[in-house]
Amino acid sequence: MEQPFTLTSEMRDNCLVITTSGYVNNVGGEAIAAEFGRHFEGGTKHVVVNLAQSKVVNSIGMSFLIEIIEQLQEVDGKLVFTNLDPAVEKMLAIMGLFKFAGKESTVEDAVKSFSGQK
Amino acid sequence: MKDAVALKIALPKIPDIELVAIEGLDRLARHMGIADEKIGEAKILVAEAVVNALEHAGEKNPTVRVEFLMTTKELVIFVRDYGKGFEPASVEKPDIRNKIGAKNKRGWGLQLMQSMSDDFHIESGSHGTKITIKKLLS
Repeated sequence: MEQPFTLTSEMRDNCLVITTSGYVNNVGGEAIAAEFGRHFEGGTKHVVVNLAQSKVVNSIGMSFLIEIIEQLQEVDGKLVFTNLDPAVEKMLAIMGLFKFAGKESTVEDAVKSFSGQK
Repeated sequence: MKDAVALKIALPKIPDIELVAIEGLDRLARHMGIADEKIGEAKILVAEAVVNALEHAGEKNPTVRVEFLMTTKELVIFVRDYGKGFEPASVEKPDIRNKIGAKNKRGWGLQLMQSMSDDFHIESGSHGTKITIKKLLS
């Protein structure tokens, strides 16, 4: 059974890395947005969302990610998704999120992409 | 080849109840020997269809009925609500360029169901909405 939503976050090389677990619905999306908000106020502009442990998401949950992308655009920041399940990746592609957000295979690759090492 | 399997569920309007349907789908897929990567998109389709139906189910009869019919080759998903219905043609196709900066960032359900399925049909009237989704599994 898809597990209830939880998240963890950490700072890596000035990037906020949010790692989720379980179903990303409205509650999960809101929790991601709240975690982002706490760091955004402190000046964080680079965000990685690791969905490795979230194989099922819904579009209401993802609509909160659009809100984050919008806020980052205003400060010339960026969000990068990592570890996407193929079905979730297809969903985000249909929604057009990769026009405004990045995707990388791993968190390490995403962090490197911000520092221009990749 | 295994015989087709079916599952019918009546879902009450409570938080995350769509996970019950997704779990049922997962069990059917395991029984039929269908790989996880084949069923991933179907799980997202079920989540979208059930959440959408629960949102439009209204208060009078908020139950949503879900039915799966699965063979090793395809899955048919039926989702029925008893709300007041809507005119599918009047639903605006979402565009991320318009959603960025807009107050309402939601409204992706129908677009996703159409794009991620192999066949999608919707019937809606004053007595509710029926959605039929076909997903090829092989």
